[in-house]
Amino acid sequence: MKIELVNRPGNTAAKVTLAAGETCTAEAGAMIAMSGHMNITTTTHKKGAGGIFKAAKRMLSGESFFLNHFDPKDKEGELWLGSSLAGDMLALTLDNENLIVQSGSFLASEESVDMDMGWQGFKSLLSGESMFWLNLKGRGQVVLSSFGAIYPIEVDGDYIVDTGHIVAFNETLDFTITKAGSSWLQSFLGGEGLVCKFSGKGTVWCQSHNANSFGHALTPKLRKA
Amino acid sequence: MKSEIKGSQAFSYVEVELAPDEVIVTESDAMSSMDADIELKARLNGGLFKGLLRKYLGGESLFVNHFSNPTNTPKKMTIVQGTPGEICHRKLDDEVYYLQPGAFIACSPGITLGLEFAGLVSFISREGLFRLKMSGSGDLYFGAYGALLEREVDGEYIVDSSHLVAYEPGIKLKLQLAGGIFSSLFGGEGLVTRVEGKGKIIIQSRSITGLAGWLNPKF
Repeated sequence: MKIELVNRPGNTAAKVTLAAGETCTAEAGAMIAMSGHMNITTTTHKKGAGGIFKAAKRMLSGESFFLNHFDPKDKEGELWLGSSLAGDMLALTLDNENLIVQSGSFLASEESVDMDMGWQGFKSLLSGESMFWLNLKGRGQVVLSSFGAIYPIEVDGDYIVDTGHIVAFNETLDFTITKAGSSWLQSFLGGEGLVCKFSGKGTVWCQSHNANSFGHALTPKLRKA
Repeated sequence: MKSEIKGSQAFSYVEVELAPDEVIVTESDAMSSMDADIELKARLNGGLFKGLLRKYLGGESLFVNHFSNPTNTPKKMTIVQGTPGEICHRKLDDEVYYLQPGAFIACSPGITLGLEFAGLVSFISREGLFRLKMSGSGDLYFGAYGALLEREVDGEYIVDSSHLVAYEPGIKLKLQLAGGIFSSLFGGEGLVTRVEGKGKIIIQSRSITGLAGWLNPKF
């Protein structure tokens, strides 16, 4: 599976080239174009191992109930993927490691990558992200999408990320919900409110923009339904 | 203060490196990530009364944040704006610069944020009744929805309403119809802002009002 990201970071699209026999799993609704001979299978979970419960969990986490599996049958084929919000994408290769992904950010993965919902505790409710997080593990490539540009931060010690800006992080990192700076009052008065504090050693990928902030700028100008 | 604007014109964000004891003043909720050692203090945006004025009339928040680095090694932080778009950096050297409401993102502490009555003309052309007056010396970051275009004005220049972002003090705003009555009403341009004087203006390539106007009929 070959991944090429084009038109970054404004309106990124991912071109996925699949060799015969390879399968790419993508979020429902992510396909924008593909070769005519591409075969699509829709399941509730991993190909060949559907699970209503896992699908229901995925739906709770803001992802769709179904996943699409694309395979080009006996000859090479290509597949174009896009996301609904304008923004950047990130292609990562997992090498037997665990990646925790903010669930709305998942776009596609290789068949060899296993996917499950992770429960990060009640702190997730306060993190501005959804309650469940995707847990990707195994070997293979994954594509994530974001609202805005994506920038990586190498954490060694403590680092603070504002709620709503997390795309993904290595499982070697742990986060707690806390305040920005040393005082709760200052953090709330300053509009930062709750933030996520990452500790340990690893990488956290952040998105430069927060869909909620954009929503707040736009909503007052929209007509009431 | 070391800083770099990244993320292209579509999704600009500012990477700032604070040297020991250095301070940066930002708009409320502008921080997206920072080193855990950086200290935050919320300050009233120039007194309670002025702060309230700025919040309700200037489109800015009641509080601004002072981020400081109390350690003795440089620390990094990232500053963003709420809407997708470009961020511009400008160095002020004991001068005045005007920003439209909502355009302010961050500045060094040597710059004072003030609010000034922009005149009825500005209000009618949907540029806001008030404008932000930045004065002093230091680094200033501002941005808007869309890309930012700089135009050198000497004499007259016409800008569509709600597209003006910033201008130098030598510039005055006037209101006029885009063309005759017919083209103003039916050509989709309506009222425009006429800027007069000598200096540079910054225009945004998109406007939130325009996006909302396009979205509204779809609901």
